[in-house]
Amino acid sequence: MSPQTPRPITSRAVEALLLDTTPWLSCEECFERLDTHVEALLEGSPTDVAMDRHLTGCPACAEEAASLRQLLEGEPH
Amino acid sequence: MSQTRFDEQVPPGPACQVARREPLDWVSALTASGPQQDAALRQLHELMLRAARHQVWRMRDALPDASAATLDEVINQAADEAMVSLLGKLDTFEGRSRFTTWAYKFAIVQAGSDVRRLQWRHREVELRDLDSPAPLHDSPAHEVEATDLAHALASAMSRVLTPHQRRIAIALLVDEVPIDVLADRLGTTRGALYKTLFDVRGRLRTELTSQGYLPGASPSATSAATPARPQAGTP
Repeated sequence: MSPQTPRPITSRAVEALLLDTTPWLSCEECFERLDTHVEALLEGSPTDVAMDRHLTGCPACAEEAASLRQLLEGEPH
Repeated sequence: MSQTRFDEQVPPGPACQVARREPLDWVSALTASGPQQDAALRQLHELMLRAARHQVWRMRDALPDASAATLDEVINQAADEAMVSLLGKLDTFEGRSRFTTWAYKFAIVQAGSDVRRLQWRHREVELRDLDSPAPLHDSPAHEVEATDLAHALASAMSRVLTPHQRRIAIALLVDEVPIDVLADRLGTTRGALYKTLFDVRGRLRTELTSQGYLPGASPSATSAATPARPQAGTP
């Protein structure tokens, strides 16, 4: 770990720190639900609020959900 | 799930519409023996490669070396690791989604994590404490308001968070270190770090709500950081 370097809190970071990510959903549970959630999104059916909140607050899981959706959308119809 | 020839293709139609009528009994084929299992394993590996290739291609700009050879190596390694992971969890597949969708997520998550690790392989990760936000003077009104909230947030972080919580939150949300990279460096898990982040957000929201900076009940996550106090001032 390197010495501390002063940097301001950006408005983007402020927003990220104050996100409402309730109800609680772990990254592990997000992975478990990822396939059904993305298929539900593609079907236009009601979505999972806990998943929506988790994906808003977890960039890694959000990237993976977006990628899975893109992959499914690009499959031959 | 009906038993069909294993090499039968998914019928035409939107992916979402074939979700409940996928023609392949993947679980049976993968747990069979002999040629049927061999064929299933080959086709599963193709699925893993397809998803890993998709993910690595999406994130290729993040790689320090995006040569064809490197991409191919990352893709193949991620596909292999994802396949091992999937086969270890095969008995948990309940058919609530298409098997292919379920399978893809293993390769996408593995490949995404692998790319982020490569992206940060030669970068140091700082675990630093809080810095003071910029001063309020000589700024337009909207900037003053935003800075006021930033000051209140910084103050709240000092009061209601532990040093460990502050460092994790700053690394993940201020310095934007990927969560799986930070987990690796700290010898912990992505889930454990996300739980820390969840607790941090809860504490900060409670504190700033009590001070009038946030509305009492947030109707949506997107409005969560909208300040409730309209004008700039001292925190």
